[in-house]
Amino acid sequence: MPIQNPKETLERVRTLAERSGAAEVETYFEFITFAEARVREREVELVQQSAITGFGLRVLRDRKMGFLYTTDLRRKILDEMVVRTIALAAQASPRDENRLPDQTFIPAGNLEIEDASILRMRPEDLIPLARSIEDNALAHDKRVQTTRSTRAGYVVGEVHFSNTFIPYQMFRSTEAYYSCTAVAVDGDKKREGSYFDRKRIFQDLTTPERLGRKASERAVAKLGAKAVPSTKAPVIFEADAAGAFLGGLVGAFNALNVLEQRTFLANRKGQQIASPLVTIVDDGIMRRGLGTRPFDGEGSQTRKTVVVDRGVMTRFLHTAATARRSNVTPTGNATRGYDSLPVVGPTNFYIDRGSAKPDQMIQQVPKGLYVTGSAGFGFDLTAGEYSQQVEGFWIEGGKIVHPVEGVTVAGKLDEMLLGIDAVGRDLDFRSHIASPTIRFKELTIGGV
Amino acid sequence: MPEDHSISRRQFLRNGALLSGAILAGGAAGAPWIRPPEVEAALMGIGQELREILNPETVNRILIEALLRGGDFADVFAEQRFRTNIVLDDGKIDSVTYGYPRGAGVRVYWRRQTGYAFSDEIQYESLLDAARVASAVVQNQGAVAPIDVSPRSIHPPFTISSPVPLMPETSKFDLLRRMDAAARAVDKRIASVRIEYADDVRDVLIGTSDGVYAIDRQYQVVAACTATAVDGTNRRTGFASLGGRVGTDYLARRDPETVAREAAQQAITLLTAVPAPAGPMPVVIAPGWGGVLIHESFGHALEGDGIRRGTSLLSGKLGQKIGAPGLRVVDDALWGYGRGSYAVDDEGVMGQRTVLVDGGVLQSYILDRQSAQYLNLKPTGNGRRMTYRNWPLPRMSNTYIDRGSDDPASLLSGITKGFYAADLGGGSVDTTSGNFNFAVRMGYLIENGKLTSPVRGAVLIGSSLQTMERIEGVGNDLAVEQARGTCGKDGQMVPVGVGQPTVRFSSITVGGTAI
Repeated sequence: MPIQNPKETLERVRTLAERSGAAEVETYFEFITFAEARVREREVELVQQSAITGFGLRVLRDRKMGFLYTTDLRRKILDEMVVRTIALAAQASPRDENRLPDQTFIPAGNLEIEDASILRMRPEDLIPLARSIEDNALAHDKRVQTTRSTRAGYVVGEVHFSNTFIPYQMFRSTEAYYSCTAVAVDGDKKREGSYFDRKRIFQDLTTPERLGRKASERAVAKLGAKAVPSTKAPVIFEADAAGAFLGGLVGAFNALNVLEQRTFLANRKGQQIASPLVTIVDDGIMRRGLGTRPFDGEGSQTRKTVVVDRGVMTRFLHTAATARRSNVTPTGNATRGYDSLPVVGPTNFYIDRGSAKPDQMIQQVPKGLYVTGSAGFGFDLTAGEYSQQVEGFWIEGGKIVHPVEGVTVAGKLDEMLLGIDAVGRDLDFRSHIASPTIRFKELTIGGV
Repeated sequence: MPEDHSISRRQFLRNGALLSGAILAGGAAGAPWIRPPEVEAALMGIGQELREILNPETVNRILIEALLRGGDFADVFAEQRFRTNIVLDDGKIDSVTYGYPRGAGVRVYWRRQTGYAFSDEIQYESLLDAARVASAVVQNQGAVAPIDVSPRSIHPPFTISSPVPLMPETSKFDLLRRMDAAARAVDKRIASVRIEYADDVRDVLIGTSDGVYAIDRQYQVVAACTATAVDGTNRRTGFASLGGRVGTDYLARRDPETVAREAAQQAITLLTAVPAPAGPMPVVIAPGWGGVLIHESFGHALEGDGIRRGTSLLSGKLGQKIGAPGLRVVDDALWGYGRGSYAVDDEGVMGQRTVLVDGGVLQSYILDRQSAQYLNLKPTGNGRRMTYRNWPLPRMSNTYIDRGSDDPASLLSGITKGFYAADLGGGSVDTTSGNFNFAVRMGYLIENGKLTSPVRGAVLIGSSLQTMERIEGVGNDLAVEQARGTCGKDGQMVPVGVGQPTVRFSSITVGGTAI
């Protein structure tokens, strides 16, 4: 326990910085405990328990900003670093938006992000869970004889915060997770399949049995995959793949990128940028959400923001500084760790549930691609272009006919979003960014 | 409407804050650079303090504690860093950051099992605790006695006379402002410029149960320019960077203003670029950063963890032919001033130059101690970790396709329709199947042996073994990119170098929109 009394340390450092010439001071202290068990081929590969402690300090003087982070909390060093950081800040440029939030937030009731049963867990409790996941992955199919990695873990985090205007605040949150990457072998072909789940409340987590089985199914499904000829065709992104796609797109809604002309959505507020079937939401106060927190990284109140309303661009995501530059209210999207300045980031970010049944979305496609996973980089958010390696299945006559790999999908993002012609009803949160299954009317498929 | 109910405390408190600031600012901020010597030592290096806490004797005692229940190996790793980050955006110095992370970890491994524990403070007692926690992974086999550590001399592969991270802050601010002005001056259509500067002074201390006691200092710097050009609704981004483990003399050779102009020029060129083609075609990849290809296609698959688990497609392939006869691949931790260079790795093995592939035949894996022991091979000095909070994994250093004999210009001839990848983005790989991808930032069409229209971004994909068979020519223009590679694996990010000469492939699948 490096800090016995976080509140006292925060107050002391804040006062020291204010006395040393900083006009506005923000202190941020993070204490995170995590534990993980890894099992492979029925042997325990790793049991880990760690605790990290870090401190971040933001100082403003004459609208100039400096930032310090450290894990060295010895008083002599910390005091020295505070003074040094204030001197560093003096060399920055003054910016009118360099002001700390000064609105005391109103807690939005019980957000249910802390689970007492996870607080009570010990690292050794994770071992039988991880074993059970792997056993189920191996039992499901003969072609799966090993896993690359099977993990069970939990995280307990505490954030302590105060600034010159907002008095000391703290919150605690928990997470538990399972993951498994199974390896399927058929002759000299090896293919991996992964599945994971992550939840705030242990009871909400899927069972080890189901998790292992899903990983195994995904690995086996890839055996016999082949490339398809290059063509233009309808492409369905299954919910997980659609969530990953949305994750790649989220920077386009970042207000700083809008201000600096680094997103294809700059100057598009109020316009129809997606199909009327598409509503995109950022919800920082969603009960049990993995991105939920009572206040954001700089003490602004978190909230629910409709980003795209039935296809119309309504609101970008803001920190206090981007909100000030854009002359709007902040959206509570300042994201950070103790070792980083607040930047715009999503809380719980999702495409809202639609009405289509995923299997019917496939049945309506005469010839096309069903994408279950993507890899690597492929978003050019400034230019609004997308091109990515994907894997999945080929659809012929409304039916899945064979797995594919060695293919890419590409399109212009504005045309892609306007061309979404079905949104599934299968929204499920296993990450803080999620989407139901979506279907693009037409993308370019690069193959053989 | 939460805002309506909340209380604004800003106006209320500001006067008070200003008053106390006015009284005390003069004294405190007036002499910020004069520090007591012991504070300076603690901040800027493995000073006397750290050497005293973790002297050979205390390190021995920690290692004895770590192996009390048995185990194959134990090590102590302490790290202290001083990092400076400066961001210039919209023509202004946006933020300035000092980072001062510090801590130490103890590892024990026994066969395939790893125990690791760390502390955010560097204290003998907390490291003894860490040793006990780490040793719990061993099923009490009976104590193993470590070899007493003795100091090892580190032979730096190159000397950095005046490291960039130790430049005065004012010079760093000046560097950013000059880059910003140079990028903006390229063209009126440059609408925004962002420069991100980051430097790092990393001091490490490693003690191992096989007797190594090593201390090293590693300097690192990068300054990256992102320029955005806007013409009507057409927006393009250009990128260029400088850096490596370099001194101020480097800045005379790699002129920061030229780097900034390269980024701006790329954005302007891309405004007129045509959509990328889709499908398989002959591909030529530019030297330097084009080495992302070998990093993704073979590099990761050669790392010892996947090899020993048998999950890599290159497991068990030592001595076998895995690529075209002209293919020679090297991993070189001693490459001059490289981003991935080091004299000693993060588990006390000296860095080295390893030929991975020669004449298309697999010669060596990329090994840390644990995977080397399991495979009954010698470690190759590739045990690296992101911070003291992580245990080492087998990782690449500077990895490149070695120089060939072809004239680079000749590699375009005979291609009637193909793709030239001039600048890349990032990439990734599935080491089990060998399917890899990397993004192309800017390319050109090859038509009848000549570069013609600039092409906008696309992704290139392939499977490792097939692609490396398809090498048709290797240029004599080897370059290793030292200013922009960061490799992520298992959540650990480490700086790396990648490189290659111009390389031609008979066919790679291009993922564009034009078919």
